[in-house]
Amino acid sequence: MWSFYFSQLTDSIPFFLKGLWMTFKVSGISLVLGTILGFCVGIARAGRIKPLRYLLYVYVDFMRGTPYLVQIFIVFFILPEWGIQLAAFPAAVFSLTLYAGAYICEIVAGGIEAVDAGQTEAAMATGLNRFQRMRYVVMPQAMRTILPPLVGQYVLLIKDSSIVSVIGLTDITRVGWLTVQRIPEGIMVFGLVGALYFSICYPLILLSNWFERRLRAQGG
Amino acid sequence: MIRFEKVNKWFGRHHVLQDIDFHVAAGDVAVICGPSGSGKSTLIRCINRLEPIQSGDIVVDGMSLTDRKTNITRLRAEVGFVFQQFNLYPHMTALENVILAPLKVRKMNKKEADDLGRELLEKVGIQEKASAYPAQLSGGQQQRVAIARGLAMRPKIMLFDEPTSALDPEMINEVLDVMRKLAFEGMTMAVVTHEMGFAREVANKMVFMDDGKIIETGDPEQFYTNPQNERTRLFLSKILSH
Amino acid sequence: MLSAFNFRVIWDYMDLFLRGLWATAWISAIGLSGALLVGIIACMMRISGKKLMSGPAVAYIELIRSTPLLVQLYFFYFGLPSLGIRFTEYQTGIFALSLNSGAYMAEILRAGVQSIPGGQIEAGIAFGLNYLQRLRYIILPQAIGVTIPPMLGQTIVLVKDSALLSLISVFELTRASQILTSERFMPAEGFLTVAVFYLLLYYILKSLSAWWQRHLIHRQA
Repeated sequence: MWSFYFSQLTDSIPFFLKGLWMTFKVSGISLVLGTILGFCVGIARAGRIKPLRYLLYVYVDFMRGTPYLVQIFIVFFILPEWGIQLAAFPAAVFSLTLYAGAYICEIVAGGIEAVDAGQTEAAMATGLNRFQRMRYVVMPQAMRTILPPLVGQYVLLIKDSSIVSVIGLTDITRVGWLTVQRIPEGIMVFGLVGALYFSICYPLILLSNWFERRLRAQGG
Repeated sequence: MIRFEKVNKWFGRHHVLQDIDFHVAAGDVAVICGPSGSGKSTLIRCINRLEPIQSGDIVVDGMSLTDRKTNITRLRAEVGFVFQQFNLYPHMTALENVILAPLKVRKMNKKEADDLGRELLEKVGIQEKASAYPAQLSGGQQQRVAIARGLAMRPKIMLFDEPTSALDPEMINEVLDVMRKLAFEGMTMAVVTHEMGFAREVANKMVFMDDGKIIETGDPEQFYTNPQNERTRLFLSKILSH
Repeated sequence: MLSAFNFRVIWDYMDLFLRGLWATAWISAIGLSGALLVGIIACMMRISGKKLMSGPAVAYIELIRSTPLLVQLYFFYFGLPSLGIRFTEYQTGIFALSLNSGAYMAEILRAGVQSIPGGQIEAGIAFGLNYLQRLRYIILPQAIGVTIPPMLGQTIVLVKDSALLSLISVFELTRASQILTSERFMPAEGFLTVAVFYLLLYYILKSLSAWWQRHLIHRQA
C-alpha cells in the first residue's frame, strides 16, 4: 500500500514543483515590495513628523496585533464589498506586502535609532542635507543591525505565505492539501511539503545567523 | 562673524541660555569656559543650529539663523564643527570621512576631493593614516581626522566643543598643536575648553559662563590675573590648582 | 462605508464572538503550557553538552523553525490517523501549536541562560553544586527575568497562530467570523470584529510585557 502511494506521489512531483514555483513567486514579489514599503515607513517612523509617526503606530499595531489569516480574509472578502475586486494572486501579494512591511518597518526604525545621534550631528555640521545624511551616514551603519532580523523576517514571510493557500492560490501547501485528498498518507505528503519549505528556509536561517555572528564579532 | 543677540533657550523648563549677548569678530579666537552644566556646549552648538533657540537671534557671517530665508545647510557648510566624542563615521576610512561633504555637498570630482583630503590630513599630521578606519586610530589621531573633516568645506569659522576632554592626557597636545596652527593662520575660532594654557597662548577673548549666563568676558591676561567676578575667581582657582 | 456596516448583526452574534474569544483564550493557555514544557525540555537537552541529547533537540528546533505552522498542522491532522492515532481536532491543533511554539521557547530560554556570565556557573561548580542545583539556584532565577518579555512576545505569536486551527474546523475566534460569514454573508462585520478582539488580546499582552520591563529596571536599579 505504502509503496503504491509512494509511486503515486513521485508521479505528482511536477505538480509539487509548480506549487513550489507559486510559493517562490508570491513570497518573492511580496518580499521585494514589503522591503521597499518597510524601509520607507521605517525611515518615516524614525523621523520627526509626529502625526505621521502616530499613523504608522496604528498601521504597525494592526498588522502585528491580528493574525495574518484574518488579514487575508479582510483583503479577499471585504475589499470587494467596497468595490475593490482583487484576484487571489494580487490579493495574496497585497496582503503579504502590507504584513511584512509592518514588521520590516519596526526592524528598520530600530536600526536607525540604534545609530548614535552624534553621527547625524556630525553629518549635519558638514552641511549634508537630510537625504544625504540618511544615505551616506546613517543607513550604512544601521544596515549592520538591520540585516540579521531582516533575513529572519524573510523566513517568516515565506512560511506565512503558506496561508495564502486558503484563498485558493495553488502554492506548495495547497498542492499538499489537494494531493492528500487523493493519496491519504498525510505523513508522506506533508513530509514532502515540509521538506520543500525546509530547503528554502533553512539556508536563510543560516544566513541570518551568519550576519548576526559577524555583527557581534565587530563588537556591534 | 558671529553675533548673539538676546538669545534664550529652554530644555523643557530648564532655562539653559539666558539673554546671551556675545560677539566674535573675524580672526578672533574666543575661548568659552565654565563649570559643567553652565550651558557652554549648548551655546556653541546653537551657532550652527544643532540646537534651536527659542528667542533672540544669532547672526553668522551676515546670515540670520532665525530668518526663514537663510539656507541652513549652506550656513553649516561655512562653519566647521569638532565634537568632544569625534563622531567620525566608523564605516569610512579617514580620507573618506574628510571628503564626504566636499563630494556630496560641493559636488567636487573624486580626484579634486582626494587631493584636498590628503592635503588636509597632511596639515593635521596624519597623512599616512588616510586609509585607516577610525577604530584603528588612537583618540588623538581620530580627533585630528575630525578637525581635517571640519576644515574640508573651507569654512570661515571653526567651532570646537571640548575637543580634548575625551582624550588620554598624552594625546591632548597633538590636538592642541593643530588648533594652535589654525589660530596662527588667522582662522576665526570659538572653542569650549578648560585647557587654560592653550587659552592664554592663543585666545584674544575669554568668556566665562555659569548657570546659563555669561558672567564675564575679557582679554585673557586680565581674565586670569584679575577676574572681576567672584564666581570667575572661584572657578579659576579650582581649575588652576591642578 | 461605515453606514453599510451592520452593528446589529454584530450584536446579535455577540454571544458567538464571546464564545470564540473564550475558546481562543483557553486554547492559547493550554498551548502555552505545552510550549513551555516542550521548550524547557528541548532547551535543557540542547545545552546539556552531550551530543546524544543536543543532536535531537537541535534537529527538532531547526525543523520547526524552517517549516510553516500550517504545514505542521496539516502534517498531524492528515498524518496521525494514518499512523492509527486518533486525536480530536482540538487535540491535534493544540498539540501542533505546543510543538511549534516549544521550539521558539527553547531558543528564548537558551538565550536567557547564555546571558548569565560564565563566572557564576564556575562559582557554582567550585562550591560543589551539581547540574540540577546550579540550574535551580543560579541559572533559572536570573534567566527567567530576562526571558519574560520575549516569552510574552512569543505568546502574542501563539495567540495569533491559534487562528489557523479554524482551518481544521476547531471552533475559536476566527472560526466564529467564518460562521457569521457563511450564515449571513457579512464578511466585513465578521472579520473586522474578530480583528478588534485579537487587538484587545495583543494590547493586554503587550502592556504586560511593558509593565514587566519597567519592573525589571526598577529591580536592577
